[in-house]
Amino acid sequence: MQFCRVRSVAEAVDELSRWGTEGHILAGGTDVMPQYLRGERAPAVLIDIGGIDGLQGISDVGGVTSIGALVTMRRLASASLIELRNPALAQAAGAVGAWQTQTVATVGGNVCTAAASADTLPALLVANAQLTLVSKSGRRRMELGEFLDGAGATALRPTELLRAIELEPIGDRAAEGYIKVGRRSAMELAVVGLALRLQVAPSGVVSDARIAVCGVTRPPHRVPSAETALLGTQIDGGRIDCAEAGAELASAAAPERSEAARYRRRVLPGLLGRLANRCVADISGADG
Amino acid sequence: MAAAGGEQSVSIRLVVNERPHVLDVGAGETLLGTLRERLALTGPKEACCEGECGACSVLVDGAPVASCIAAAGSMNGRTIRTVEGLAGAGELTVLQQAFVSHAAVQCGYCTPGVLMVLTALLDDVPNPSEADIRQALAGNICRCTGYQQIVEAALDAAGAASL
Amino acid sequence: MSALGASPARSDADAKLRGEAVFGADLTRPGMLWAAVSRSPVAAGQIRAVNTRPALAIDGVLEVLTAADVPDWRTGVIVSDTPFLAADYVAYEGEPLAIVVADSRVAAEAGASAVVADIGPIVPISTPEQALAPGARLVHPEWNRFAVAGGADIGRDGNVVAEVVHDPGDLDAAFAAADLVVEGTYRTPRQYQAHLEPKMALAVFESGRYTIEVSHQYPFRLRDRIAQMLAVKPSSLRVVGHHIGGGFGAKLDVSVEAFAALLAQRYRRPVRMQHRALEERLVAPCRANALVSVRSAVRGDGTILATEVEIVSDSGAYANNGPALSAIPMFVFGSIYRVGTARIRTRNVYTNTAPTGAYRGVNGPWLVFANERHMDAIADALGRDRREYRLASLSQDGELMRNGQPLEEVSILHEAFERVDELAPWHAISERTAASKSSGDGVLRGVGQAASVWLTNPMPGHATVKLNEDGTATVITSATENGSGAVATGLRQIAAETLGLSADDVMVTMPDTDATGYDAGSQGSRTTHVVGRAIADAAAEVRHQVIDHAARMLEAAPDDLVIAEGTVTVAGVPAAHLTLGQVAQAATWSQGPIAAAASYVTPTPPHDPMCATGMLIKGWPTPTYHLHQAEVSVDPVTGRVTVDRYVVAQEVGRAIHPAALAGQIQGGVAQGLGFALSERVDIDHGRYVQRTFKDHGLPLAADVPKVEMIVMEHPDSAGPYGAKGAAEPPVVPVAAAVANAVSDAIGAPIDTLPITLEDVLDALERAQ
Repeated sequence: MQFCRVRSVAEAVDELSRWGTEGHILAGGTDVMPQYLRGERAPAVLIDIGGIDGLQGISDVGGVTSIGALVTMRRLASASLIELRNPALAQAAGAVGAWQTQTVATVGGNVCTAAASADTLPALLVANAQLTLVSKSGRRRMELGEFLDGAGATALRPTELLRAIELEPIGDRAAEGYIKVGRRSAMELAVVGLALRLQVAPSGVVSDARIAVCGVTRPPHRVPSAETALLGTQIDGGRIDCAEAGAELASAAAPERSEAARYRRRVLPGLLGRLANRCVADISGADG
Repeated sequence: MAAAGGEQSVSIRLVVNERPHVLDVGAGETLLGTLRERLALTGPKEACCEGECGACSVLVDGAPVASCIAAAGSMNGRTIRTVEGLAGAGELTVLQQAFVSHAAVQCGYCTPGVLMVLTALLDDVPNPSEADIRQALAGNICRCTGYQQIVEAALDAAGAASL
Repeated sequence: MSALGASPARSDADAKLRGEAVFGADLTRPGMLWAAVSRSPVAAGQIRAVNTRPALAIDGVLEVLTAADVPDWRTGVIVSDTPFLAADYVAYEGEPLAIVVADSRVAAEAGASAVVADIGPIVPISTPEQALAPGARLVHPEWNRFAVAGGADIGRDGNVVAEVVHDPGDLDAAFAAADLVVEGTYRTPRQYQAHLEPKMALAVFESGRYTIEVSHQYPFRLRDRIAQMLAVKPSSLRVVGHHIGGGFGAKLDVSVEAFAALLAQRYRRPVRMQHRALEERLVAPCRANALVSVRSAVRGDGTILATEVEIVSDSGAYANNGPALSAIPMFVFGSIYRVGTARIRTRNVYTNTAPTGAYRGVNGPWLVFANERHMDAIADALGRDRREYRLASLSQDGELMRNGQPLEEVSILHEAFERVDELAPWHAISERTAASKSSGDGVLRGVGQAASVWLTNPMPGHATVKLNEDGTATVITSATENGSGAVATGLRQIAAETLGLSADDVMVTMPDTDATGYDAGSQGSRTTHVVGRAIADAAAEVRHQVIDHAARMLEAAPDDLVIAEGTVTVAGVPAAHLTLGQVAQAATWSQGPIAAAASYVTPTPPHDPMCATGMLIKGWPTPTYHLHQAEVSVDPVTGRVTVDRYVVAQEVGRAIHPAALAGQIQGGVAQGLGFALSERVDIDHGRYVQRTFKDHGLPLAADVPKVEMIVMEHPDSAGPYGAKGAAEPPVVPVAAAVANAVSDAIGAPIDTLPITLEDVLDALERAQ
């Protein structure tokens, strides 16, 4: 195996085009290195993109949150721009592994590995994340939902590099959050993780609801039927009734017959209710 | 360790405990391997080799990293601090002294990694709460102590440092 | 100033904090070879061939040894059932098949992975129930040819490795007279020690002798086991101990050391071996999984007339120390609680899984879990308050355990119940927890208790104490410091107290089987009590020699001399004094150096030798008493359990080093919480399901509450300054206390461990 250190996106895509499936990108390395060390991954070359400054940075580009692929979980969890505009992502990044992992694990790695338990993906999905993918032959933009929805693990081509992720910030009278369930306080792969973005019209009616899950059997995904069930719900006395949406969420997100799916079906309605009421409280708090 | 054979090396420059080094490391070599086998720094411990237990934790540019799954090749230009770099040949640091007085060391195998994470925490957050400390230690398994005396030592060190 | 009851620094703290301490896993030697083990990928199968060629093709691999190249006899701690390398069949996943020796670790490990075993798979016996099913395949068809140490009759029969039966006769009358019969079945999983430092060995062969350098809890056992495996005299081996990165019972028997020894002799070069994390997990001598069924005949007034206990524990593929541990139920059931008559049968059975072994508090956590869940079940059935029912059922001083041994001081438990109640009043808490069930705020709260009596391991120890010529002292012993501080603080304090020194002026050696008498290792909280007693006796003799010599030097009567703070003084004449260094110097050059040695082994307590069949552990020496109380909250949405408050009342002989004692209690409770709530060692078709630390679920800093402690000192007349064992028992009652609290919170019984999120939700559904 070789080790190839690249300095720029141009160099990176050159190497990717040269090596194809034989070249594996090394960013934070929290997945790649353990897999290599266990013998589950045997690339001809590790392409170290850690030194590419152009993949760093969190910025506001015309009202859109732009995140470089190399931004680490630790930065996402503590960046004020993210805490303010995409708080579910900050919460999700803070729920990944522990400090040692968060120091090096990157958002690009979380997206491209696309593990079923990837904490940041539900938070990115409810922000309608748009990916910028570059290769020697050019660049393309793709919605994260579409990126995760294909037949393969992701729609990433072997010669492509994820460059940046653009997110819609929460709007007025809106809030969002991420919660996950595990046996322990940290270091857990999510048994189930749930992100919700909620917007409430001045009339007290839910005007936008976006729900995404991870930890389920499929790759993380939005759950449109549950979103529809929540739309138009009237907030009553500062509480929101999520029973119908919860039932939809449970059956749509965990339809399998396994024990694990049975557990997810049981917890998802309660988790949604908890998260939705937290969002409602945040919205009324910001209001009042 | 990496599978045998066919591994090319890559040159890195790095600073470890304030000493600069230029090294040729294997493409799949871990930072832990580099520290222990090339630089004879056996303070960072070999344990799970999966990035799950924290015994190998070192600071890379001031932030804790599991050196057992960090690629040595990616450390070019970085500044590394290991447990050997805390006190050097001098007096124990305030944190280390607090570990002595609070009996926070038992078998001692997790201790180097725990010290590095708490050193980074105390650098970042001068007056951490007990919850901050417990959360910061989420990546460090200690099977001996049940953590309490470690947490108390850290609180004590934070208090002493802020005096 | 007394050296006891204060908390001086550990002798190893500075080195461990600087990263300078050399653990076994840090050892290296110029010119050393590396070896690695190729292990069975399947749980059961017939070995057709082991193809070593792919391994030999790897650059750096020198040789691959298979069963044909190594000793062909079986060995074991109690039953000689374990082959050096599997020859004809494999009995568990991870069983050694071949040893690869190479000039680097990378090559040795690559070689071990490259060995191709052609194994005809057999459906594994995965559970004890399968092993005991009528007509079950025998895990070892030739079981009857295996020798048993000392020729003991341990009730072996096919897949039954050992059977211990205590049968006082007919229980039918008691059950006929009962107002109610309470039954329960309690199921518990394995628990993995999860010490962080992998097992390792560095072996050297020189001048016809082997030196094995290790981080091991029991160097003398290791010496004897390697000797057994290689068929050499134990004295041809020297085992040298280094800092141990955790053991908790996993480092009490042989693992790779005999392989390294054999290779060192074969190559006449140092040979180094070390487990990788997965390997460590696959072959660890876990706490055995078990199934305990208890049936009690109870009178309306709460009196238990009789109890019938059936226990099945999983030995795994080889016997290890399971036969000895099968006696322990005799000290848990019908012990601290009166049960009238008891019939107890324990069977330890072979399965196609990794051999189980000793984990801190051997068998205790699951036996006490069954006993204390059952006490809650009886109280609930009677409609009695659970604490009040326990108090009413406690044995009285002098009552007998099932082995006929009197419980001399069981009334300490009455004190424990009172002291815990002062700190965390049961009735006030019970009212709060009951209110949580109707408050509707969601969180359910519960409280639970569990009590136990636990032993101090009695096995032999030895120490030499020498007074150095500068007035300091050195303790020479092979007692091992596994982290508890028993050696790094406790033993030094005991010597210091006897010699009138500060603990800082007492050094202690690392273990070396050539240099000391036999020591039974760090297990069962024995070091402070047993080795401490040997040190106290040896130090008393040293003190006698000092007084004797100083009396001549000072021309004073020995009875008039006082030793304190490193000085011998004539009482009432402060000017007439000598430092210990002056005495030591003078003695060395006149009569010879001042030193003394002593040995100790705890006598077996009085008992009825006919109380049971198959019993290898006859008594429960130097017992201590324990009460734990847990308060928990349960999230009804997720099933997650949080331990809000944890109180321990622990009886100790003497708190020699209070901070180290606190560390043992806190750490033991943390391990118990892991066993109760988060750790998983599931077995599917003979194979472990969880294969990494992440999947395993060890408790983290934010998962473990601060344990509140009540330390009750009741000095033991045989112990050094009254000390009894203290380190092991805090793990024992934890799962029971937590499960009782969770069952209380939910309103439905939790009789299976670990208490998973799913189980909690299931139980909540049942309760509604």
